[in-house]
Amino acid sequence: MTEGPSSTASANPASEVDVGLEFAGLWLSSPIVLLSGCVGFGEEYTRVAGFSNAEVGGICLKGTTLEPRLGNEPHRVYEAPAGMLNAIGLQNPGARAVVEQILPALDTTETHFFANISGSTLEEYIDVARIFDDSPVAGVEINISCPNVKAGGASFGNYPDMSAKVVEEVRRVTDKPLITKLSPNQTDIAENARRCIDAGTDALAVINTITGMAVDLESRSPVLGNASGGLSGPAIKPIALLKVAEVHQVAHRHGVPILGQGGIASAQDALEFLVAGATTVGVGTALFYEPLLCPAINEGIRDYLARHGLGSIPEVVGTLDWEQ
Amino acid sequence: MANPYPAPHGTIHVEDTEVLAHEEWPGDQLVLRLYAPETAAAARPGQFAHLACDPLLPMRRPLSIQRVGPEAGWAEFLYKRLGFGTRLLARRQVGETISVMGPIGHPFEVDPEVRYPVLVGGGVGIPPVVFLAEVLKDRPGVEPVAFLGSEVPFPFATQPAGFPVSGVPETATHADARLEDWGVPSRLASGAGLAGAYRGHVPDLAAAYLEPLAPTERRRAALYAVGPEPMLEAVARLGQRLGVPVWLSLEEYMACAVGGCMGCTVRVEEPTGPAMRRVCVDGPVFPGEQVYPGT
Repeated sequence: MTEGPSSTASANPASEVDVGLEFAGLWLSSPIVLLSGCVGFGEEYTRVAGFSNAEVGGICLKGTTLEPRLGNEPHRVYEAPAGMLNAIGLQNPGARAVVEQILPALDTTETHFFANISGSTLEEYIDVARIFDDSPVAGVEINISCPNVKAGGASFGNYPDMSAKVVEEVRRVTDKPLITKLSPNQTDIAENARRCIDAGTDALAVINTITGMAVDLESRSPVLGNASGGLSGPAIKPIALLKVAEVHQVAHRHGVPILGQGGIASAQDALEFLVAGATTVGVGTALFYEPLLCPAINEGIRDYLARHGLGSIPEVVGTLDWEQ
Repeated sequence: MANPYPAPHGTIHVEDTEVLAHEEWPGDQLVLRLYAPETAAAARPGQFAHLACDPLLPMRRPLSIQRVGPEAGWAEFLYKRLGFGTRLLARRQVGETISVMGPIGHPFEVDPEVRYPVLVGGGVGIPPVVFLAEVLKDRPGVEPVAFLGSEVPFPFATQPAGFPVSGVPETATHADARLEDWGVPSRLASGAGLAGAYRGHVPDLAAAYLEPLAPTERRRAALYAVGPEPMLEAVARLGQRLGVPVWLSLEEYMACAVGGCMGCTVRVEEPTGPAMRRVCVDGPVFPGEQVYPGT
């Protein structure tokens, strides 16, 4: 694609650009997906005057396990340079309570809601996926970064064999679109992506948080109750962009889209992820600072597409020119 | 069963506010007054706001609301310059813009049965107590009393107390001048030997006031406390000992402040068992017996 002054001449009015797109077999009204763990069970941000779930294409609900979990002891969050650490510990009321008590209250006409499923064993992933299969969620996101208790606590997501096994088994019990959320804390994320695609995932979420810690110098102990936590926010954006670009080189050959995420806080950030190969863009930590951010991101994407004479988001996805 | 995470819509406002005043007091304490009309119009005692202290800071900071002028549109905060965020906030000048999310959280609810609300504030826990005193001053048939503690000079004007408070030591001679203006009796405590303050812990003053009350009066008392954890625990134990209901406002590191991230939870003991509750939207005010269960 050639770019230059001529593209301005053929620009479309921004108001005519549709930011809707197809993702994992669903039509999303915007490429923005609100990320799991940042927006509770879908309604919390509607406490903010002027906020609407209709501004985003999808919402990934809080990570859910088979049984209720209380989560970690405080502290659970702590500021880091250009970001934050969190270690919530999957606090949730259990999959059945989510399906029976929470989902019926959500307005599914505004956006798509995705369950985010977690487990300590392969069997738990399967059981949770079954429960959500019989529910109004639009799709299921698999959080494969959980520790596998039968493998000595090693994270499912850090080993391609274990990752693929989870995807394969969950695929067996649901026909809903599957998004597999890949961990950056592994040697070869592209290889893991390939294995998860072979196992039947419909989309990939890239990336989950990067593990880290904070130290309290006075007590010489970890700040977080869980000792380690996940780093998110602008600090991880360059890492996430590279991982998206790496995974895209594998995923696009199979037509598998990427939900790109990691420090996105503006339309420019979102567009960089789209160019690197993401089809949709996740917003999480940035909401904590600016809850009314999403309309501005949609608008900024429209402006960019219009300015470059592009009619839709897919025309910009994966257009990164590695040769320049 | 009901949704375990109900979320009332549109109660938290996001507004670009103007710094109207930013006053420094000894002990690294600052009083910040913002033109924040939406927060000011809706705020109630015990609620807080989430401030973008500096555009370069990745997280906002929760600050409890000390006073509001709903007609004039201002909201006032007291904070200590302690960490990175409050250091940056302390640099903000009159006329600058600060983004505020507010008001947030469950306020103090003073039951209509309560005739003797006892307000206890320590350090940066003083603001909600001041706000509660200002609201209660106009409530007929209610006789609030406030006890304020600090280890650094009090971040407000003090004056000799004009209203009697039965039971408290005679060494506690001074009161918060604002509360005096409102007709709300108050007394001060400090371990640092501040002039006019009782030398000791602020819950001691609450105990000295409550213990001599007749059982009929004590049944109509309740404790409302904000401050450091040892102070909160002492107030909770006092309430348990005397059979007086206790409401505590808690603090925790906070990210979203709207209930989305579950980052600011604290462990509480509810009738159905242990639970992790979010300070931002389930609190910050919790029943004392849930935070410090009786033994």
